Amino acid sequence: MSVARPQELACKQLVELLTDFLDGALDESTRTRVEQHLVWCPGCTEYLRQFRATIGVTRKLAEEDLPERVKENLLDAFRHWRHGS
Amino acid sequence: MPSATGDTGAEQPMRAWKFLDPGRIAPFGGHVWSAPSTSGPGAWVEPAGGVFACRLEDLPWWIRPELWEVELAGPVRMLPTQVAAARGRLLRRVLAWDEAVLRAYGMACAERARDRAVHAFLREDRQGEGDALRRTRSMLELYRTAQGMATDARTPSSNAVGYFAACALRAAQGEGAAAALHAADAVSVATGDPDAFARERQWQAAWIAGRCALSAEPVAVV
Ligand SMILES: [Zn+2]
Repeated sequence: MSVARPQELACKQLVELLTDFLDGALDESTRTRVEQHLVWCPGCTEYLRQFRATIGVTRKLAEEDLPERVKENLLDAFRHWRHGS
Repeated sequence: MPSATGDTGAEQPMRAWKFLDPGRIAPFGGHVWSAPSTSGPGAWVEPAGGVFACRLEDLPWWIRPELWEVELAGPVRMLPTQVAAARGRLLRRVLAWDEAVLRAYGMACAERARDRAVHAFLREDRQGEGDALRRTRSMLELYRTAQGMATDARTPSSNAVGYFAACALRAAQGEGAAAALHAADAVSVATGDPDAFARERQWQAAWIAGRCALSAEPVAVV
């Protein structure tokens, strides 16, 4: 089967699709275009690697890992946000 | 006869080709494929989303460091640039595919693209540019020469030199997958032929198959 050139996915578009790509939320055609782009684009491959690493670290973070002051600040900001101030 | 969805409905095993990252790691799924041993193929891999592999003509789209011959099973779907199946297992590694061959592949694609560019310039009576490209003796020289022409976008061949420059640079860096893609784009733009891209990809697939002595078509395993 010979195929015409699939529509080019720009690096910027790929970055926007990355979360859905990792969540398995893309349709087959879009996912294929993302994967084909990653085959040849070292910039996006590196971006994906860092993105995955960040997600890995974030998932490992437990509440106890947060210093008390950071926790207080976060809770304070959250309370203000809830009150719409 | 494949259905409209590309599902062949075939339940019998089928041979295909699979690129993996070092250590038999699936490039996107991240799972490790089980290695074949002297007693037989590797264990079946059956990820939730299915497995994807290549017919010969699909190879240029999915280049990675390791190339394996695989057996696919379950209903097989023929997609535009790959084959999908419920499960697969490794039969053997294609040892001929290595870093040196990947580099040679990129160079071959770039040299072929350069020849196409020379013809395109000559067709436009632009002997000087054609000769300048033809005289280049290395990928880096080709890159610099093409890059120098890229600013003058008066004709299809001038429009293509940006792609030729990218192609030559990536070939020089040993990035065969990128060099091949840019080469196909360059020829497509230079010739203005809508079929040129697919034809370049076919040539690239044939190059890999020839260099690695891959058989013409994946066939049903008896
Ligand atoms: Zn990119």
